[in-house]
Amino acid sequence: MSGFDIFAIAIALLIIFTLFAGVKTVPQGFDWTIERFGKFTRTLSPGLNLIIPYFDRVGRKVNMMEQVIEIPEQEVITKDNATVGVDGVAFFQVFDAAKASYEVANLQQAIVVLTMTNIRSVMGSMDLDKMLSHRDEINERLLRVVDAAVAPWGIKVNRIEIKDIAPPADLVEAMGRQMKAERVKRADILQAEGQRQSEILRAEGAKQSQILQAEGRREAAFRDAEARERAAEAEAKATEMVSEAIGRGDVAALNYFIADKYIKAFGQLAESPNQKVIMLPLEASSMLSSLAGIGEIAKATFGEQAAANQAARRAGSVPPTTPPRS
Amino acid sequence: MAEMFVTLGTWNWLIFGVLLMALELLAPGIFLFWLGLAAFLVGMLSFIITPGWQLQMLLFAVFAAAAVPIWRRVAQQKPGANPNPFLNKRTDALIGRVFTLDRPIVDGAGIVRVDDTIWRVSGPDVPAGTKVKIVQADGASLTVDVA
Repeated sequence: MSGFDIFAIAIALLIIFTLFAGVKTVPQGFDWTIERFGKFTRTLSPGLNLIIPYFDRVGRKVNMMEQVIEIPEQEVITKDNATVGVDGVAFFQVFDAAKASYEVANLQQAIVVLTMTNIRSVMGSMDLDKMLSHRDEINERLLRVVDAAVAPWGIKVNRIEIKDIAPPADLVEAMGRQMKAERVKRADILQAEGQRQSEILRAEGAKQSQILQAEGRREAAFRDAEARERAAEAEAKATEMVSEAIGRGDVAALNYFIADKYIKAFGQLAESPNQKVIMLPLEASSMLSSLAGIGEIAKATFGEQAAANQAARRAGSVPPTTPPRS
Repeated sequence: MAEMFVTLGTWNWLIFGVLLMALELLAPGIFLFWLGLAAFLVGMLSFIITPGWQLQMLLFAVFAAAAVPIWRRVAQQKPGANPNPFLNKRTDALIGRVFTLDRPIVDGAGIVRVDDTIWRVSGPDVPAGTKVKIVQADGASLTVDVA
């Protein structure tokens, strides 16, 4: 093999290897840093790139996609001295490949440690109840602090989420009991309140009914009294009418009335089913005869006056003040 | 190897070229296609003029080197509008959008809430609640101006 043969092969190989060294295809989602004699010069973006072989070389191949890293579980002591296990996740993205490559030695580890210490300081300043109920606030505070801290590394933390907060088992059990007691308390109070309400309603009903009854009675009494008044009025009027009638007419009418009433009363007595023997006072018969006598006298007295009255009415003149004696 | 080239003559280059192109399909992106093309070209050329194999080898190297600028031109020609120009460039996509300041900008630095995360922004000192427009994005740092 001649020298030219070897030279030809060597040149061909050199050019091929130089091409391999100089042509760089960067895949989407990555940025490559270029170092010239070990010093960072530029960043290659995705696509076809040419570098000068022998001078330049690819330094770091940086993932520019958003990445998630697990924050391992750690013990956090809360403000009220409960020890809880906390773990989480952090999402970050590299925006400046050069800074992420050279400003920090171990990027992922740095983020993990930074987040862990911040979790401890943020959550350590809260008591357990707040910690369990304010996850959003915790996440936000963590994000604010960590994002500001990683800024010099050319990355941005988009999100930090506390995944799990695990209080010790006995504490969980106590919390369960507390919750149960709370519910039982609420149930009891509700029941008592219901009972109170129902009893009040019942009493109110009874009161109302009594009032209504009393009102009814009052009304009835009023009406009774009115009825009695009306009856008395009617009686008075009847009496008046009778006396007027007597005044105008014959005294015999009075006698007739009294005798009629008397006999009717007797009749009722006689008809009474349990009283067949009628005891009459001895004076009754004499009273009857005296009644007849009174009738005679009254007839004699009022009869003339009545005749005179009639005569006067017939004549149209005023009757004399003293009637003539018979 | 040299003897093999000599005995098989020009066909070697064509076979070599096809082989390289096939390898490119198996392991894409490592320039083998262009080497294959160069080998193919040398093979075709050696049908017309028959230089010595050493010259053929040099020709191959020259063609391979020449492939680089050609490839570059091809790569720069856009086969159509990029459907997603902001891929992996999240901040560039924010330029022109208007947000309400979460906290006041003090000493040129403030915080804006964007898509359920927070972004640190720099700009003129304005109170919280001001509407600001993102005018410039450089990596993870955004510059805002009062909208």
